[in-house]
Amino acid sequence: MAQRLQKELANFMRDPIPGMSLDRNLVEGNLNVWVINVDGAPNTLYEGEIFKLQFKFPQRYPFDSPSVMFIGNKIPEHPHIYSNGHICLSILTDEWSPALSVQSVCLSIVSMLSSCKAKSRPPDDERYVQTCRDPSDPKKTRWFFHDDSV
Amino acid sequence: MVLVEEDRSKSENNSNEKNADNSQYECNICLDTARDAVISLCGHLFCWPCLHKWLETRPNNQTCPVCKSAISKEKVIPLYGRNCTDKKDPRDKVPPRPQGQRTEAPRNNFFGSGLDGLHVSFGIGAFPFSFFASTFNITTENRMPAPAPGSTQYAEEQFLSRIFLIVAIIFIIWILLA
Repeated sequence: MAQRLQKELANFMRDPIPGMSLDRNLVEGNLNVWVINVDGAPNTLYEGEIFKLQFKFPQRYPFDSPSVMFIGNKIPEHPHIYSNGHICLSILTDEWSPALSVQSVCLSIVSMLSSCKAKSRPPDDERYVQTCRDPSDPKKTRWFFHDDSV
Repeated sequence: MVLVEEDRSKSENNSNEKNADNSQYECNICLDTARDAVISLCGHLFCWPCLHKWLETRPNNQTCPVCKSAISKEKVIPLYGRNCTDKKDPRDKVPPRPQGQRTEAPRNNFFGSGLDGLHVSFGIGAFPFSFFASTFNITTENRMPAPAPGSTQYAEEQFLSRIFLIVAIIFIIWILLA
């Protein structure tokens, strides 16, 4: 697992995704938690905004999916992102595959943000934020996926 | 001087090409050069230990990690390079975990537990000719071995057969008195 993360780190540094950069301070020493700075892509609703995306890698990574959520006080306002930072994205749970990587997850999130037509929270945001099983780990939630349009 | 620089850039190019070449043969799971390589029918390369671990992770939904096509142990092809000294099928190296053993639960026929496979029926035809049209029908299929004497099931069966005997006697007495 450590070796795979090393390789992913090298790949991430070699072919960075536009608008995404690793928060160096938080990576050093602990490869199991990454924080990525996400700049809202130009010509999208999130232009000029800066978010922090956190990846936590479980022991069985890559056979288990990483826990991915937005952290900090700026959480993008998006119909699939709850105000506690949890992201409703199928590849983070059911559809995870070990051939996916930090880069592919980042790309999915960027495209999810970029294709957003109107800023809003998920319809059940308030209820979910109050009742979710573990605010610090979105993987504890049982996700249902219904909307493929955004 | 210029020549040296040219050389250096050439060697850099070479090493880049080499890297690119190698990455074509990386396992899609561990991202390292595939070891004990196998290839799926959909054409994706893996180390057999990595793929095996993934297949074990989702035994009911075995899909290719890259393209989600259906995949199984039998449907991957081991790859042997020219200098591969170990010609053993990589799929034999990680011993597949033995299948879980399960046996069908005995079907409960009509009296629930304790009477499996034993059909008892009483019938009254034109009295008195077929008074004892009782059939004791012991089906052999699915029949469980007789419980050991002393076990609770044995005691239960004894108890039940005694009850049936009593019921039958009461019935006969009632018929005779009526």
